[in-house]
Amino acid sequence: MSSLLPQPDSALLGRPRSYGAIVWGQLRKRSSAMISLAIILVLALAAMLAPFVAGEVPIRWVENGEASWPIFRYLTNAEYVAMLAFVLAAALPLTVRLVRRRAERVGASPLMRAIAIHAGIWIVVAAGLLTLREPERRYGFYLERAGEAQSAWFPLIPTPRYPGYESLVHRDEPPSWQHPFGTGRLGDDILLRILYGGRTALTIGFVAVGISACIGVVLGSLSGYFLRWVDLMVMRLAEIFMFIPQLVLIIIILAVIPSSVDPLWAVVFVIGVTGWTGTYRLMRAELLRIRGEDYMTAARALGLPTWRLLLRHAIPNGLAPILVGATFGIAGAVFIEVSLAFLNLVQTPSWGELLTDGRQHLETWWVWGSAGAAIFVTVLVYNLLGEAIRDAIDPKLKV
Amino acid sequence: MKTYILKRLLLMIPTIVGITLLTYLIVRLAPGDPIEAMIRNQSGNIDPKAMKEDAQKIRERLGLIDYHYVRDRFFGAPSEEERPQPTGASYKVTDALDTVASAGIGYGRWVGHLATGDFGESIKYRTSSGSRNPLALIAERIPVTATLNIIAELLIFFIAIPVGLAAARHQGKWFDRASSFVMLAFWSVPTVLAGTVLLGFLGKGGLGWSGFPIAGLHSFGYEKFSWGEYLADTLWHSVLPVVCLTYGGIAYLAKLGRASLLENLRADYVRTARAKGLPESRVVYHHALRNSLLPMITVMVLTLPGLIGGSVIVETIFSIQGTGLLLVNAAQAYDLALIMTETLLYGVLTLVFLLIGDLLYAWADPRVRYE
Repeated sequence: MSSLLPQPDSALLGRPRSYGAIVWGQLRKRSSAMISLAIILVLALAAMLAPFVAGEVPIRWVENGEASWPIFRYLTNAEYVAMLAFVLAAALPLTVRLVRRRAERVGASPLMRAIAIHAGIWIVVAAGLLTLREPERRYGFYLERAGEAQSAWFPLIPTPRYPGYESLVHRDEPPSWQHPFGTGRLGDDILLRILYGGRTALTIGFVAVGISACIGVVLGSLSGYFLRWVDLMVMRLAEIFMFIPQLVLIIIILAVIPSSVDPLWAVVFVIGVTGWTGTYRLMRAELLRIRGEDYMTAARALGLPTWRLLLRHAIPNGLAPILVGATFGIAGAVFIEVSLAFLNLVQTPSWGELLTDGRQHLETWWVWGSAGAAIFVTVLVYNLLGEAIRDAIDPKLKV
Repeated sequence: MKTYILKRLLLMIPTIVGITLLTYLIVRLAPGDPIEAMIRNQSGNIDPKAMKEDAQKIRERLGLIDYHYVRDRFFGAPSEEERPQPTGASYKVTDALDTVASAGIGYGRWVGHLATGDFGESIKYRTSSGSRNPLALIAERIPVTATLNIIAELLIFFIAIPVGLAAARHQGKWFDRASSFVMLAFWSVPTVLAGTVLLGFLGKGGLGWSGFPIAGLHSFGYEKFSWGEYLADTLWHSVLPVVCLTYGGIAYLAKLGRASLLENLRADYVRTARAKGLPESRVVYHHALRNSLLPMITVMVLTLPGLIGGSVIVETIFSIQGTGLLLVNAAQAYDLALIMTETLLYGVLTLVFLLIGDLLYAWADPRVRYE
């Protein structure tokens, strides 16, 4: 039977490329996008592998002829979980290929299936680690006994302890080989603070934007698909959050959040909950466009239930602009964190805190300079990437 | 046009209700107690138990526990163990329904007070003669913030539009590329960093050229200045703050203006205008630019909340006694009445400006009215 149907000429059409592949192809042509992606990766790796770059726990330690790898005992569970997420994300293409080879039946796309598998692995391992493992926490142990070891591989910059460590001997020192970014008022190594501040920035950026993107996508697609009173109500809700300046809203929420909540998660929460209006408006506009498309009419004519129309047909086709919004959103979240640290509303090791510390003493330029440079470079690369993705999605605009 | 205005005004009502409700709920859900904060603010650290009792007395005197009275009348008095103890930890109602009901009553009461012009009492700014009305406190500081923001908006508009225009006309040439990158770089500098560097290198006592004043908007003894001196003094003081307020907006608007103009330059009517043989300058300035400026009205209004947020930071950096610094101080002192009034005011102001912007748009572009 199938031989009677006209067969598409495979030589003419070529291998069908998915939307994502087309966008990626466009993106690869842009040098600014590739450079910013590389910088983003380096920054993320540096933040994640901070204990290997600077710290006091040796990577390898040989004493009395016995070799050990102390740093792996000291890495916290959160660090392992983050590294695992990174490795799993990097291995995603491999799994996609495996899944594609195995599965021929019609169903979820190989990418979705691979993501589900990896998320499953991640959740199981993370839960196991958090319940079973207890990381070592004794500091100030190895650095003093460095002479007793037959061999010790310390991190690139052997600095005592974690941020907040006070060494009154090395105060306000300009950059040197021992402290590449100099030291602060309390003898704290600035590179260490930059690395750990990068963790804060990335956490706030990704988690807060994740929260706001989820809220925005759900509300935006409901609003754009159902229109009428749903749209009217949700639009009013969005207006409330649009009209009260986001920073003001965050300030009043932070003023009333109980102090028992970890300041980092308080900031993540407020930025996520207040910052969804941009995504909402993008998603609503996309849904307004999509609901009139032919494939939606076809799907509706097939009698598909509404949830399936939305989840499988409408929302996936409207996600591309959200990616652009989210990339800009990460840059925006870093900005907000800087403002909040400056207003002294949150106390958590971050670039904003470092910048605020540094502005009291401008003559130690390396303090505010490195914090400012870290913020500037991070925000710039995310903005560059966002612009590049936008151009790649809509090449006709070529702004 | 009349129907359009009426429709817009009617749609404003739920938004205003929402803004007040959100403000109220945030403060309502706060775990801290405003009355205890007030006592702490007046008498420093005191014994927590004594403070709780004092707070309870104040509440009884102010009639703040009459919610129970209302509930008892409608649903009958609860038994002894259900009733919250007067000396209990805080004014907490265990039942979820009770919480909602009491929040509802509280909200209604608050809105009633707002309607009669009673915005509560500021606990942070008290004088010996009594507490200050938050609205009066804010009204005192509005001229400062408004002046700075109006200057900033004007500068943003008159710098960003020409830059965007030039970039769009020379699309892909060196000016376009350079301005695009510079604008993106501007957009990536946090206000705190810009303020710090400007203040540190250009301000008095700084490291570089120390000519600019570093705090406030007036020199010492400005009351005795003639108005010319006063104006020059104020302008001189506002140079750095205005720079901090504008550079981000310029970057944003220049990019949008460029995109908008490019879109219009590709439109059919521009081709028609060119085909008619009109000179290029007339095509650009008379046809394309005018049309691309239209959406800028809405964009300018929508940047307003961002500008207000920015002025919170700028006023703190430069110690300018405006509404932004007031909000920061209020948040740090847990001054709920002041926080609520100010948030409400910001929301309503933006709403009103957006309405004006929309009406202007509808007046300029009749197609909008009939949508």
